[in-house]
Amino acid sequence: MKIINNRNINRLVLIILFFMISTLTLLGMSRILEFLNSGADRSSMLHLELTTEDAYLPKVVWRDLENPAREIEQNTLHKIEKDYLFSWYVKNNALEKNTTKGIEDFYTQNTRKNLYRTIAYNKGHKISIESTTIKHFPELEFYSEDGQQVVFTDKNVVEFQKISQNDQLLTSIQDTATYKVMMLLEDGFWRVRHMVKMDAEPFQKDTVQPTPIYTVSNNQILQNKTSYTIKGINYYPKNSAWDTFGELFNKDTIAKDFDIIKKANLNTIRVFIQYEDFGKAKVKLEKLAKLKVLLDLAEAKKLAVIVTLFDFYSDYTIPSWTLTHRHAEHIVSEFKNHKAILGWDIKNEPNLDFENRNKENVLNWLDHMITVIKENDPNHLITIGWSNSVEATNLANKLDFISYHFYNDMIHLEYETNGLLKNTNKPVVIEEFGVPSYGGVWNFWEGSPKEQAAYHKKMQTYFKKNNYSFMSWTLYDFPHVPDQVAGKWPWQKMRQKKFGFIDEHGNNKPAFQYISNK
Amino acid sequence: MIKKIPYYILPIMAFFLFVFAKIKTDEKAATFSIQNIAKTYTAGNAISISFTTESKTATADLYLIHSYSKIIINAKNENGKLTFKLPLFFTEKTGSVSWHLLSKNSKASTGTFKIIPNNTTTTKIESYLGPRTILTGKQNFTMMVVVPTDGLDNPKEDNTAVIIKDQFQEDITSEQKNTTNFIAWKNIYSRVKSGKMLVSSQCEQTTTKEIETDIYPSIATNFSITYERNHDFADGNQITKLTTSKITDQFGNLVSDGTLVAFYITTTTNMVLKTYAATINGIAIAQILHPDHGDTYNIKAFVTGMAESQPIKISYQPLIKSFPYTFSKENREITVGPLKSFMNQIVPNGIKVVLEIYHNNQLVETLQLDSYDGLAKFYLSPSFYKEKEYQFLIHTLGITQKTEIKKYENHK
Repeated sequence: MKIINNRNINRLVLIILFFMISTLTLLGMSRILEFLNSGADRSSMLHLELTTEDAYLPKVVWRDLENPAREIEQNTLHKIEKDYLFSWYVKNNALEKNTTKGIEDFYTQNTRKNLYRTIAYNKGHKISIESTTIKHFPELEFYSEDGQQVVFTDKNVVEFQKISQNDQLLTSIQDTATYKVMMLLEDGFWRVRHMVKMDAEPFQKDTVQPTPIYTVSNNQILQNKTSYTIKGINYYPKNSAWDTFGELFNKDTIAKDFDIIKKANLNTIRVFIQYEDFGKAKVKLEKLAKLKVLLDLAEAKKLAVIVTLFDFYSDYTIPSWTLTHRHAEHIVSEFKNHKAILGWDIKNEPNLDFENRNKENVLNWLDHMITVIKENDPNHLITIGWSNSVEATNLANKLDFISYHFYNDMIHLEYETNGLLKNTNKPVVIEEFGVPSYGGVWNFWEGSPKEQAAYHKKMQTYFKKNNYSFMSWTLYDFPHVPDQVAGKWPWQKMRQKKFGFIDEHGNNKPAFQYISNK
Repeated sequence: MIKKIPYYILPIMAFFLFVFAKIKTDEKAATFSIQNIAKTYTAGNAISISFTTESKTATADLYLIHSYSKIIINAKNENGKLTFKLPLFFTEKTGSVSWHLLSKNSKASTGTFKIIPNNTTTTKIESYLGPRTILTGKQNFTMMVVVPTDGLDNPKEDNTAVIIKDQFQEDITSEQKNTTNFIAWKNIYSRVKSGKMLVSSQCEQTTTKEIETDIYPSIATNFSITYERNHDFADGNQITKLTTSKITDQFGNLVSDGTLVAFYITTTTNMVLKTYAATINGIAIAQILHPDHGDTYNIKAFVTGMAESQPIKISYQPLIKSFPYTFSKENREITVGPLKSFMNQIVPNGIKVVLEIYHNNQLVETLQLDSYDGLAKFYLSPSFYKEKEYQFLIHTLGITQKTEIKKYENHK
């Protein structure tokens, strides 16, 4: 019997068609059912997804809560503040992206129009304004008896904005103004009803007398008014490289390391704080506690500490500014009276981000961060750890001392350092320098412990001769180096593991005897 | 040929020189000076700002920060003059405007001007009254908040006069308040009488509609209760009516209709019975059923959390002292009654009669019937009650009677 005949083919086609049609019908039905079951999440009705905590945190200080009407309750004030900041947040967002998103929630019906018209105009003219407010000092003027209306004057709001048209950055501008604001409580939201910009008025600054230990005079750092030359080292515990305050944090390990450092005739260490590790805008208290342990130990061993902030952080965009401000504010104000701290290094090698993150952005961010730190901690010096001496002149007049990292050929050391000293008339610290002792296939057997020792010996003669402040990289060889630091390739990592004066088994390498000078 | 070379080179050099010179002029910073910026403008009027410059080509942009807006305006250099025309929507809002002149090669000059409310437009008023219900009494008040704006929705300047009026019965007051921080406000105090209060406001030629606030009586004060009943017998049928006196607040205002009064009734056996009634015209009336046995009720009424009455006592007489009962059908049928009331009339239907059956002083069963035409008939079926003798206790209308021991024979 012939299997392949017309009848069998017809049957086969019919059967296949039947399966295909059934499958498609079922698929189609399931899609329709799926569609009918989807829709707005019910929780979205309650606006639960909005939280200011992580979105927008400019500094807000209520200066005066006296008002002639009803006394305000703390929780109401908190809610008003939250919604008011949201009104700024959606306004900033609207002006940047020319969108009306969120405006309905924080502006009343009549007031929305004003923003809509601005957005329409800016959209038509291809204007985009990235802005953030930095500080608010509101004073309560009126809170109605039924708790539905509030009027306050937000004094001296500092606004920073980057203005662009046709995708061309025109300029960035800082402006200070006072706003008088009336808000109404409507279906659970405080919404802006009236907002009138007024001229800023000068008001008294808090006069806190700074009590610094470390000061600066011309090219010299002073400790209790006597000249202080930093003989320092960059410090990570051996087993927690780039993670000083992590799981392996151990007081005894650090105490032993500090003894080694002190005995080696060094007087300063540099440590690193990572933005995310420390909890971003809401700084984790247990991390602060660990930092305090380290600083207290340093104080006990008479070591000065340069604390580098914002390690592994590279978002300089304006909408995130206020979050980083709260991070820095919390940390520096916590330790503003700590005697071990010599200064705050705002960021390690920020100039490496110039290319990808826009130089202008990075510098503006650093500039404002200097202000934030100075305001919250007038007692300690401020520097930025530039990765080379050319970029180290950026913001020089705002910094207390200049730090740069020297990995060039050492014959340039004096030229570069003296140039900076002369140009900036500020103390200059060679904040990182060093060579790896690694010699292997990845660098054609270039380095060796002996060559490392020779390098440090020579460097120390330069330092001694010129009385330079220096901080070498680094105390230990590290068994593990995270990818973020040097890169993931072995030829990148292997070098980075071998910069230490002490190898990973705890034995002093030949370079150790040239760790400092007398 | 070689001699001709300078003829070729010269024009080329001249060309480069020219280009170089052009760049030079461009690089020279143009300075702009303000030609026309007023200190204040009135909202809604056209605003144009002009600058002059010695350059015929240099241009600049104007960046403006206002109450709600941040915009850039572009202008062309027209013979050394740059005129920036502000869009209409921008000029309609009041407040201080910061301007920044942005030009490529010169330092930005900045300044501010002010836009003030337009008083020639029709004044508009937004008023907020709250709380919308208050209680009588001198310490209670409602607050009127008035926000006068110009026709463009800008709050009027400080010290704008607003008249706030309120009416309560014949009493109409009117007071002028001046605005500060956008608003004029007044506390309008409650009166000793309850009722409606109307509030309105006026600013310049504009008046608002009236807004009502209700003045409710404040909390009730203590009151008394009385009772009323047809007779004092505990017949389980009649109703005793409990009536409160007129419940008022401290100023004599009747409490709002619907104020709930709870009556707590304590019997002689310390059982607590409750009933509720809502007031109408200050009076709450509750009804309770007479007990079916002699009892004494202690009654006290409360408006929860606010006021209470003095307690009263109501006694109920037992209806009868004893009742007859008969056995028939070989003692299998027990007829209780006829139950007769205080006038020898038959008691109303539905009086509870309870029969307790004992055998050798052991309770075997309790039966219950409601009386009908004064009688209650119990039948003891021989298939269930197989013992030789039973004794009975009969309870009705609060009276208990014990029968003698009755003998039974099994009839098969």
